[in-house]
Amino acid sequence: MNRKFSWMLLLAATVSFTQCKDAGDDVQIDDENELITSVTLKFTEDGTTNVQSFSYKDADGDGGNAPTQFDTIALKPNKTYTVAIELLDESKTPADNITEEVAEESDEHLFVYTPSPSALLTYTYGDKDENNFPIGLTGKAVTTAAGLGKLKVQLRHQPDTKNGTPGPGSDDVNLDFNLKVQ
Amino acid sequence: MKRIAISLLLFFTSFIAHAQTTDCACFVKGVVKDQHTGQPIVGATVLVVGQNSGVFTDENGRYELRNLCPGAYTLECRIIGYNPFREKLDLTAGHEENFNLLEQEVHLKDVEITAHRTDAPSSQPLSTITGADLDKTRGQNLAESLKGMTGVTSLQTGSSISKPVIHGLHSNRILIMNNGVRQEGQQWGSEHAPEIDPFIATRLSVVKGAAGVRYGSDAIGGVILVEPEELPFDKALSGEVNAVGFTNGRQGVLSGTLQGSIKGFKGFGWRAQGTIKRGGNIRTPDYFLDNTGISEKNFSLAAGYRNKGLGIDVFYSRFDTKIGIFSGSHIGSVTDLLNVIENGEPFVKSGFSYNIGRPNQNVSHELMKAETHYHFQNGNRFQWTIARQLNDRNEFDLHRPRNDSIAALNHPELTFKLTTLTNDVVWDHKPIAGKLAGQLGISTLYQFNLMDGRPLIPNFNQFNIGFFWMERYVTNGWELEAGARYDYRSLTSFRIVNREKVSQDFTFANFSGLLGATRNFSEKFSARLNFGTAWRAPNVSELFSDGVHHGAAAFEKGDATLKAEKALNSIASVKYASPKFTAEIGGYYNIISDFIYLKPQAEPILTVRGAFPYFKYTQTDASFKGIDLSATWEFMKYTSVSSKLSYLRVYDRRNDNYLVLIPANRIDNQIKYELPEDAKWHKAYFSVGNLFVAQQKRVPPASDFLAPPKAYSLWNVQMGTTFNISEKQQLEVGLSVQNLFNVAYRDYLNRFRYYADDMGRNASLRLKWKFGA
Repeated sequence: MNRKFSWMLLLAATVSFTQCKDAGDDVQIDDENELITSVTLKFTEDGTTNVQSFSYKDADGDGGNAPTQFDTIALKPNKTYTVAIELLDESKTPADNITEEVAEESDEHLFVYTPSPSALLTYTYGDKDENNFPIGLTGKAVTTAAGLGKLKVQLRHQPDTKNGTPGPGSDDVNLDFNLKVQ
Repeated sequence: MKRIAISLLLFFTSFIAHAQTTDCACFVKGVVKDQHTGQPIVGATVLVVGQNSGVFTDENGRYELRNLCPGAYTLECRIIGYNPFREKLDLTAGHEENFNLLEQEVHLKDVEITAHRTDAPSSQPLSTITGADLDKTRGQNLAESLKGMTGVTSLQTGSSISKPVIHGLHSNRILIMNNGVRQEGQQWGSEHAPEIDPFIATRLSVVKGAAGVRYGSDAIGGVILVEPEELPFDKALSGEVNAVGFTNGRQGVLSGTLQGSIKGFKGFGWRAQGTIKRGGNIRTPDYFLDNTGISEKNFSLAAGYRNKGLGIDVFYSRFDTKIGIFSGSHIGSVTDLLNVIENGEPFVKSGFSYNIGRPNQNVSHELMKAETHYHFQNGNRFQWTIARQLNDRNEFDLHRPRNDSIAALNHPELTFKLTTLTNDVVWDHKPIAGKLAGQLGISTLYQFNLMDGRPLIPNFNQFNIGFFWMERYVTNGWELEAGARYDYRSLTSFRIVNREKVSQDFTFANFSGLLGATRNFSEKFSARLNFGTAWRAPNVSELFSDGVHHGAAAFEKGDATLKAEKALNSIASVKYASPKFTAEIGGYYNIISDFIYLKPQAEPILTVRGAFPYFKYTQTDASFKGIDLSATWEFMKYTSVSSKLSYLRVYDRRNDNYLVLIPANRIDNQIKYELPEDAKWHKAYFSVGNLFVAQQKRVPPASDFLAPPKAYSLWNVQMGTTFNISEKQQLEVGLSVQNLFNVAYRDYLNRFRYYADDMGRNASLRLKWKFGA
């Protein structure tokens, strides 16, 4: 009886220790679909070819290391600028151009530019999607008097609900750039 | 006296036999045993059919029929309590014939005494739902089915996902034993419901309080036992069909069970069971919640064999579910969340639909189990259980990938595949002096997790081994209990950091102990006291989380230096039970040192989606104090009232503060009228109930975007009856309405309370058709 018991125990132990697979063999480099690691605003002063770029960069995405760059947008008063926005996923090599993907699905996306105080700058959309709603990949910004404030840049993701207002959907980008007009 | 009588009879019968057949010298002898236990049966009759000869078995179960003439005989062996057994013999000389009798079910006055091997400490409160009470919960998920118990609440993600909370503890602090195997899914996620079909069980039990000695790591808060009925060994074919319809979500559930044995294959029993469930968008009193449908398909197969002391059981179950997650709950940034809160109701409105779109979860869970036990003749018992579980969880985000070619593949944004192998060996030693019974055991667990998609928790390998020993001393008035356990766990994680594989090793080891006493003062009055320790190793999400939680709009960060939690639990209760009045009051005090929780950080964290409140997993010392009270009083004929009260206070002792996400205090009252039994109406009843849930006022300041919701009070009505269609067929009908007055409310433990109200009125109709047996 005792022998039978120990024999069964041994068998039990064998079963528990075999069949082991190693989860370490299977680690893959994970690629997030929705990742945006850098946002760059390009301001071109009208009548010049003078392009100023202001960026937010967090190369490894959310978490991990802190953002490496968060520029202050510095513009001149009483000028008109052409504004273009570029989104990249730099966690991959080569970097993924998210701007192109947003353009492809422009009927689901809306950029919203909100200066505060609002007197600092006026933004006008320069593009439209297939439903005649604005997108905001390009537009015009007109500065007025000098001052300090913020420019909130949002990318609203509005699948099937886009109606030209910021309301529906959720934020894919929501950054408060410091804005300096002087 | 009995022995003398038997010997006398023996003497007498053998004398008759001897007297009749003087010329014949053939004999039959053998032993009569209980088929299941293998124990000899004393005093069974062995008769030669058609003759006047017969003998009784002696104290070793032996019998001998002498002086038979050569020829054909039929022997019959019988004793009260067992099925009679006949055997044909052709005698030429001596012959040995052993009988194994199968215990008979005797229906004298329908007093059912069932003994269940729960393996839980007996000095701890064990609440059970079976029979009619369980039937009332049919069609709901596991956590909802358990909610009626005192001290048990649920943590919800909308209306379709809920997980049980015992005395304020949940997720990895509650262990669920599914048919004797510890359920291993991705329980760390608050929106990860246990992957169990409650239709598998005919009994749901909750062990309140730490049960670390018997169950090891994770059983800090308690244990939930999901237990099926014993397989039908050598019984006729039987089964049941359950159909449940709910008005809210227009949900339908159909479940069937078929069970029986095989003719000519003694000691064999089988059961097949399956459930399908389909539901659409849930409605609050004022609006539908978009994308809250559910679709579920489950089945299980079981077979077993019993011969003498040997028992073998195999079990396979598969659970498949697809759950829509309310689309308004997927939040991109804090601004979005604050907008919804300000709006008071969701921006996303919809009508009714069965369609399940994004975001959604597809989860399947597979369990394979084999169990062997053997009762030795001397009273020892050995049990060995091996099981393999495969949990496959796929989560689809609200957004499709922007890239069309990737979107077309419709890959989940997050996949976890968790494989678990468990192995348990338990030895019940024979009672010493009839008073001391005990159990020794070894449990091992090997687990590996493979994930793919959005970085959340890493891949890992985990190995666990535990040894335990429990003894129980039982006298007339006292039951004393003591136990000890040692656990060792090793965990290796594999992550990608800066595009390189990084692996980390962790080891956790722990002793736990148990001391308990039960005193039975009289048949009606008893008291229990139990001290136990338990522990829980930090899980991978607590060690490695690093990202935005889209439902909560919070950034959560793990800490790889976390230590294991240790709990010291004391629980005391007194119980009074008479036919007209039953009451039980219990108090508990649970101290968990190094309790792991999310601590809000002073500075928010900046991401491309904006600045998020920043929470880090940290440890503290927490205390859980509470009272559970339940009473039923039949104050006049056929009419009874029952009350259940759960009161809980939780404190963070290290930081002198309260803890978040603790269920509010509640009281549940019910008045029930049972119709007298007559030829037509069986077990007919009508009841009205009210559940009052107080506002949770004990929360840490500034712990939340929104203060805990106000107190609420919900009314419900229920009625039901049983019709006997024929002798072997029954139809049970039940009708109930929950949230009768369609009250708009929000529960503190519902993660959707920021975005939407809880479920409105929900009426349901339940039909149960039982046939056979």
